[in-house]
Amino acid sequence: MSIDMTKPLPETQPWTQAFWDGTREGKLLVQVCRQCQARIFAPRKRCPQCWSSDLGWIESAGRGTVYTFSTAYSGVEPKFTDELPYTIAYVDLAEGIRLMTRIVGCDPAELAIGMEVEVVFHDRDGFRLPYFRPAQNGNADE
Amino acid sequence: MSDIAIVGIGEVPTARLPERTPWDIIYDTCIEAVEDSGIGKDEIQGVVSVAPVGQPVISGELAFGLLPERLGLKGVRDSAMVNAGGASTSNALRLAEQWIASGIADSVLVQQVTVFSTMPVAEQIDVFARAGIDMQWEYPYGTTYNIIMGLLATRYMYESGASPEEMASVVTALRSWAEHDPHSLFYGRPAPSVDQVLGSDMLNTPLHKRESNVLADGGAALVVVSARRARELGGPAAYKLGESARYFSGTCVERDFGTMADGWRVTAEEAMARAGVTREDIDLWNVYLAYPLAHPQMAESLGVAPPGEGARFFAKGRMSFGGDIAWSTIGDAPGRGHTGSGVGTATYVETARQLMGRAGQRQVPDCRFAYQNTAGGSGFNNIATIWGREA
Repeated sequence: MSIDMTKPLPETQPWTQAFWDGTREGKLLVQVCRQCQARIFAPRKRCPQCWSSDLGWIESAGRGTVYTFSTAYSGVEPKFTDELPYTIAYVDLAEGIRLMTRIVGCDPAELAIGMEVEVVFHDRDGFRLPYFRPAQNGNADE
Repeated sequence: MSDIAIVGIGEVPTARLPERTPWDIIYDTCIEAVEDSGIGKDEIQGVVSVAPVGQPVISGELAFGLLPERLGLKGVRDSAMVNAGGASTSNALRLAEQWIASGIADSVLVQQVTVFSTMPVAEQIDVFARAGIDMQWEYPYGTTYNIIMGLLATRYMYESGASPEEMASVVTALRSWAEHDPHSLFYGRPAPSVDQVLGSDMLNTPLHKRESNVLADGGAALVVVSARRARELGGPAAYKLGESARYFSGTCVERDFGTMADGWRVTAEEAMARAGVTREDIDLWNVYLAYPLAHPQMAESLGVAPPGEGARFFAKGRMSFGGDIAWSTIGDAPGRGHTGSGVGTATYVETARQLMGRAGQRQVPDCRFAYQNTAGGSGFNNIATIWGREA
């Protein structure tokens, strides 16, 4: 068995396609239930609160705060060693969902829980992954 | 009132021994457990295998019923495998309980085997990079099991104010038990000091190399009968007295740490209430969490340490070998060596061994009641059980 060095792409479902289409347009979308108004992450086929299939999307302002983080120095898969060190975080969006992401554009020593961050999109083979960087004033495009 | 009891245990030392095949381990552990129980081999009527992690060949053989035939268990009526990651053994015991209650089987053999040492490194990396991590919302960012634990520990340290030294002391405590455990990968080896833990490489903040796990090979087996049968047999036994469970989430990022900590508390309270015991009755807190950095939070959820004080309790040596709180007396995965879902099985063997009064240097004096938990995946659930040496 050879070591797979291909960077993984999100394994999508039909009902998550809109999320990834959104990132390609520079939009961070949050799934919402039109029946019970739940904000949903990860996106579902049916609302996890009320099982409604009447689901839609709102565009996030792309701002949030760091709930927790961990900066990797070693011990990751070979396909990611070229990116070390890197920081994985949970970010709470203002729209009420929490997602796993990367924090970029920040010295790991400066990172802190509660830090305000904003989305930047990272290109990977046809996908754009939502990463976050310390919040700045102005446009959030990378 | 108890329904089932463990009346026999068998276990091989955890080690990296490529020449020791899975079937070699199965023969030794299962025969030891059956002989220990005092029950004849042909009286075993059910076999439940705990699903090993990342072992497709032996998993297939065991899931499809090869064990009773190989071991010549002539009285077996049925055989099955159960899988809930690290929580598998709790479910294997539940299936045994159901078979006994429904009359399918009077005596059930539960077993686990894992051999990591013959697994190619690339395969090990692949299995542990993907298991319990969401392929769409987590894996593409380059996360790992170690990073999942780092995320939990960073938040815990922020909320509790626990220092890196206090967190590192959990490893020292767990390994102090392993030093005195003949079935441990680290038997006879002095526990690392806090300085040695903090001096090891940083894998991902705040997790040092010595705060992660070493993969190893191992196996264990348990013989389960009805509580009535256990009393008739008359030997030492571990009686299951109470149980409770909570599901949290399959995706790491959807698992709120506060909800999880509360679930750890509630399951312990419910299991103790069903067993008719209180926290003060528990002589052994046999905690299974796979990583040391989660232990302080568990100590707080169980009410063993006050809120925010879990790590400081470890730093004071209270949970170490010789301390005043008997805690994870095989040292969890960091102490035993990580055998995937096998650490959960080994923890049940230790619960039984302690209640049977056969834990050697690690024996908890007058051990009457033990708390034991298991958790699966990256922490998708928690199953709390209470065991006693009498029904």
